[in-house]
Amino acid sequence: MISYRTRERLFRGLTFLSLGLVLLVVLFPIYWMLLTGIKPRGELYLPEPTLWTKNPTLDNLHGLFYRTPFAIQLRNTAVVSVVATMLAITVASLAGYSLSRLHFTGRDFMASAIFFTYLIPGTMTLIPLYIFLSRLGLLNSLYCLVLTSLAGGTPFSIWMLKGYFTGIPVDLEDAARIDGCTRLQALAKVILPIAAPGIVACGIFTFTISWNQYMMPMILNNKEELWTLAVGLAGLVYGDVFLWGEIMIGAFLMSIPVLLLYVLGQRFIVTGLTAGAVKG
Amino acid sequence: MADTGSDAAGQLQRIAARRLGPQRARRRRLRIGEEALIGYLFLLPAILILAVMVGYPALAGLWYSFSNKMIGFPKFKFVGLENYRELVGEVTLREAVLRSFTYAGIAVSIKLPIGLAVALILNQRFRGRGPARGLVLLPWSLPLVVSVLIWSWMYNDLFGVFNFLLMKSGLIKVPLNFLGEAKLALPSVMLTNVWRGFPFFAINLLAGLQAVPDELYEAARVDGASRLQSFRHITLPGVRTVAMIVSLLSFVWTSNDFTTFWVLTKGGPGTATKTFPVVTYETAFMALELGKAAAIPVLLIPLFSVLIVLLTRAVSRRELER
Repeated sequence: MISYRTRERLFRGLTFLSLGLVLLVVLFPIYWMLLTGIKPRGELYLPEPTLWTKNPTLDNLHGLFYRTPFAIQLRNTAVVSVVATMLAITVASLAGYSLSRLHFTGRDFMASAIFFTYLIPGTMTLIPLYIFLSRLGLLNSLYCLVLTSLAGGTPFSIWMLKGYFTGIPVDLEDAARIDGCTRLQALAKVILPIAAPGIVACGIFTFTISWNQYMMPMILNNKEELWTLAVGLAGLVYGDVFLWGEIMIGAFLMSIPVLLLYVLGQRFIVTGLTAGAVKG
Repeated sequence: MADTGSDAAGQLQRIAARRLGPQRARRRRLRIGEEALIGYLFLLPAILILAVMVGYPALAGLWYSFSNKMIGFPKFKFVGLENYRELVGEVTLREAVLRSFTYAGIAVSIKLPIGLAVALILNQRFRGRGPARGLVLLPWSLPLVVSVLIWSWMYNDLFGVFNFLLMKSGLIKVPLNFLGEAKLALPSVMLTNVWRGFPFFAINLLAGLQAVPDELYEAARVDGASRLQSFRHITLPGVRTVAMIVSLLSFVWTSNDFTTFWVLTKGGPGTATKTFPVVTYETAFMALELGKAAAIPVLLIPLFSVLIVLLTRAVSRRELER
């Protein structure tokens, strides 16, 4: 029988080995994206690709901005995502507050109905939405993309903020109301600052959905200059010429805002902000 | 001294009366009406957006599914169950539906054990655990199209890195056409889905693992339980509900996934990777038969309702557990 200590060591060794393997599998494709993005064109299309490059170049980046509609699609995606995020957190904060703090008939039904909309798959609403938006004359515009982002982002955000608001002691709000705040003021000055981490999380969620959307913009807009980055980059694959260097550097650029938000968002979450505010 | 003290107290009282008096009265008088009114008012924007963008389309889809609506023709008439009769008879659709669900089922049953294993590793104490957790989450945090594009490039039959690595290591003699060969296409798409999806399982299961109290493990160790026994009797029951929720969610997302298929294979070669979202898209926007396409998701409502009911139950069970 192996001693406890040896067994423990073996177990730890195995753990680290498998962690290394997992990290390799996770990181290799991302490394390959970056490498492809900075490889000179001559090194990209070889039957035996090199696993690194001695001549990193910005040619692909230059080509991406000057030979593809990347710049305008970047602008589209940014405008749509920022507008949708602002709208979504406003709408979700109001609704979340209403569902967690105010008592009225039909409240629980509304809460379940909203949760239900989160579960309806996009394939289900796609075709009627297409007909509806075409009647409104909103096809081939950025407006329809803001709307689809809202449809994707708000149900979950409302659900999350409802939970957040429920966790904030009612006494805090009552104190503000006794000091003469209206409901909206109490919401803006007491509840929202405390719920900031939750709101940031909802913002990140909606921004990500909006930034990454592919199926809706592809179907609703048929002009290149109205596409989002996701549709635009995927569209470069089926061109006549291989543009993998440009696609990969573009994919990297497209990932930056989303990844940054995740990193910053994690730091923003401060627990125990309300700890000690109410005694007893 | 005493004078100023009582004066200050009186002033405070007057301020309090001025502030509280009318407020209290107003609140009492308008309590129910005001609260309900504000409640509905605050909820209104959300209801409007969701009714217009989700509720109405879901119902309208049902409506159009009984019609022969085509793109480019404003006029259409109702054809009863004609679309459904046609669709049920179509082998392509039947195969596509079956393919979607087997694909999603297999993908989930690969992601779940890998996710659990990774969660168990990341739950150990070691230096660099925080960064390791962040790195594992990377594939899931990347935009979907970005991860699919990376894999598409790595699968490339002429210049892809996979063929290079497999040939170099002697595993294959001739380059494989990962996405162009009928037998390889679906597994290749699935591998992309697994790479992107397992971190979602891992991070949620990790949260589930952290919620299991340490005392349970300590008690088990004192009682002489082996590592395997505590895994079987403490860890697994502890993460069961989370595993259920994550698997159901992932199953719904994976079977409804359009992006991965459309960017990698467009449903090809032949019908090898045609899933029902791809068939819906093709029927609507290539054959231009909107009415018929609208009927496809309606046919799947029974199945998705079962999944949604299961999911809602699991979520509420999870909330009770907390």
